[in-house]
Amino acid sequence: MSPDLVMDTCLLAGSIILKNGGETYRTEETMALIAEAAGMDDVNSSATPTSIILSFRCSGLDHTRMVRTPKRTTNLNKITLVNDVSRRFVGGKINLEQAYRLLRQIDQEKPIYPIWLQHAAAATASGSFAMLAGGTWFDLIPSALAGLTVNLSLEFLEQFVRMKFFTEFSAALLGGLFALLAVTIFPQLHISIIIIGAMLPLFPGIAITNSLRDLLAGDLVAGVSRGVEAMLTAVSVAVATAIILWVG
Amino acid sequence: MFFQGLALSFVSSMAWCVLFNVPVRTIFAGGLAGMVGFCVYSLLPSLGAEVLLSTFASAAIVSLLSQFLSILLRVPSTNFSVAGIIPLVPGSLAYKSMLAFVNNNYVEGITLATKTLMVAGAIASGLIFGISVVTIWKGARYAGKRTQRD
Repeated sequence: MSPDLVMDTCLLAGSIILKNGGETYRTEETMALIAEAAGMDDVNSSATPTSIILSFRCSGLDHTRMVRTPKRTTNLNKITLVNDVSRRFVGGKINLEQAYRLLRQIDQEKPIYPIWLQHAAAATASGSFAMLAGGTWFDLIPSALAGLTVNLSLEFLEQFVRMKFFTEFSAALLGGLFALLAVTIFPQLHISIIIIGAMLPLFPGIAITNSLRDLLAGDLVAGVSRGVEAMLTAVSVAVATAIILWVG
Repeated sequence: MFFQGLALSFVSSMAWCVLFNVPVRTIFAGGLAGMVGFCVYSLLPSLGAEVLLSTFASAAIVSLLSQFLSILLRVPSTNFSVAGIIPLVPGSLAYKSMLAFVNNNYVEGITLATKTLMVAGAIASGLIFGISVVTIWKGARYAGKRTQRD
């Protein structure tokens, strides 16, 4: 097997996992497993939330490459698919060329749920979480609409602003303004419930879970940096909420 | 009221699954994880448990269930645990603490903020507990197999 193809396959698998919200330890493990199954010696892989380094030795020659993954989204389906491909390759069910082709296909794939369904899901999550937090049936619709506002502005602002935390802050601010507007028009609604529901799409669930799993797997740098990411998101939402409460 | 909560937690966890693009065949399992977590979370206080203990226990159960489902359906367990902890998020505590800070009520704000952080810590340690139990179990099974082979 040519070491270049092994390197390409490993890095593609690793960068798909990292780009789509996978854990750092999973990235490292998957790359090392593929390289070892392809017969490479002395495999070492190292990943941080934004970059991957892989090195191995093949017939007396060292190969090392590094890629960066600056842009990240959350698409757990792709991680599952990559996991599946690497398991099949390590198990000997497919060869390296097939694995590489499958990974290229996975990388090109569009999200399985269309964007309108994602916005609808954000609205549903916000509405039902507001009800769980003690709202009445009247609070359901405004909370859902506020959650929709947050998610729509998140998607819209991401195209122009490269700063993740500022995007989240502005989205939280817009969602809070929507809640204020709703309460001003219909005074019998509860602003607390609507704001609690509206901020749900910004909850950094994937960052918290990944940070814990990375810390437990011994990946301290990645775990701490993901934890800080989650905390900064929480702080930006809290500050936006405070501004809304101060205005209202 | 209880059944309404179960249905709402199921729906909100499923919606989060869609938001995170999980594979189609795991959506219902993700909703189920959220519903079981909320069930434990709302039943334990009637047995005399505090909010921290019930949060910890339900997060641990969500984590254990996610690991079990990940072995059963052969997908990474993050698919379930991320959505499963959604009904446990201390949203109203965080809101109340921000409200207290804005009203210059700093002592109450700090009390509530500490409480929020402790609930978040309980969720985190519950998740860690579930992952560790499954890791120990897997390690024990692997060690057992190895001694048989040798």
